Amino acid sequence: MWNQGKYGEASTGGYTQSPGGFGSPAASQGGDKKGRSRAQQIVPCTVSQLMSAVQAEDVFKVGEVEIAQVTIVGVIRNTDKSTINIQYKVDDMTAAPMDVKQWIDTEDMGVDNSVIPPGSYVKVSGNLRSFQNNRSLVAFSVRVLEDMNEVTSHMLEVVNAHMQQSKPQSMMVRLMGGGAGTNMMPTAHASMSSTGSYSGASMMLVNGLSANQNQVLSLIKSCHEPQGISMQDLKQKLSSMSVTVIRQIVDFLSNEGHIFSTIDEDHFRSTDNEA
Amino acid sequence: MTGVYESPKPRINASMLAQYIGRPVSFVGRLEKVHPSGKALTLSDGEGKSASVELNDPLDEELSGIVEVIGMVSNKGTIMAVSYTQYREDKISFDLELYNEGLKVLHDFPQHYPFEVSLSG
Repeated sequence: MWNQGKYGEASTGGYTQSPGGFGSPAASQGGDKKGRSRAQQIVPCTVSQLMSAVQAEDVFKVGEVEIAQVTIVGVIRNTDKSTINIQYKVDDMTAAPMDVKQWIDTEDMGVDNSVIPPGSYVKVSGNLRSFQNNRSLVAFSVRVLEDMNEVTSHMLEVVNAHMQQSKPQSMMVRLMGGGAGTNMMPTAHASMSSTGSYSGASMMLVNGLSANQNQVLSLIKSCHEPQGISMQDLKQKLSSMSVTVIRQIVDFLSNEGHIFSTIDEDHFRSTDNEA
Repeated sequence: MTGVYESPKPRINASMLAQYIGRPVSFVGRLEKVHPSGKALTLSDGEGKSASVELNDPLDEELSGIVEVIGMVSNKGTIMAVSYTQYREDKISFDLELYNEGLKVLHDFPQHYPFEVSLSG
């Protein structure tokens, strides 16, 4: 059905005049919007990002980047074939190997369903799934790399894709030598990022914080005691971080206004009282 | 050492070895030498610097060209490898210098290429 207004515009003799595009009568009815207006793009990621992604209902987010269809590049460590699917474990060096499931379409002769052997580098394209706290990828494509330079290009594409989607931050180029303890160097880049600009918009993650900082902040936020969480508790729960690092992170978060100390210098509460 | 497989293994080059002592890493380099015992190799990175690699078991195949090893960095700065993967170059050769540049980008932007999993709140 042609919309009244459109038809009137088209009376000059060309459907093509109508800015709405004559080829989409459904769109002109305006009824088709639903919630699907967000752009679905395929996002290059690392396994660590997929494992760390925050899930709100059926939406996954890595920082500010919403992810559904993703690509990863890694080496196959394990294979397991059944009649209906092939399961791989793909290792991209950023975390433990990720479970990748590829359904076998027995009817489609065009698809090669032979198992790719361990030790092969592949590019996997698929959808991120979470089931009972277990993250995996359901792949629609598992392709053996013939050009190993795709490893390099994927590394760069990941950084590029995630950088573009984040709020603009000043470029952090400073590399800190000597901190053999953590490779995240939380104080280095956090100091460059503008966390202030975000307060209202995103409740889930505070952008501009490193993974370690987010971890500490989440723990502090999760404590609902009036006196907040103690340094002891933080030390216990963050066994991978040294006291020095935790202290550094806590000092930084406090300076940025995310947390404050309560009964003494060893107890902290989040300034964000959503929970 | 299954621990290495399940851990994050930051991609590094020879200059970074000293900062990763005692930690699992992945290292991609050009095979320069294989020790007669077959249990040690020398790889050169994209900057031309060398790394020594020690294997659990002697090599039982001919290796050449670009090899990726994963393992722990010892006190002496050698990589105690638990496994290796040959990068195929049958169709297209691998640009090791470019990989080295890419690796530096990863270390410049760890927030966009984390070598660790963070707990989601």
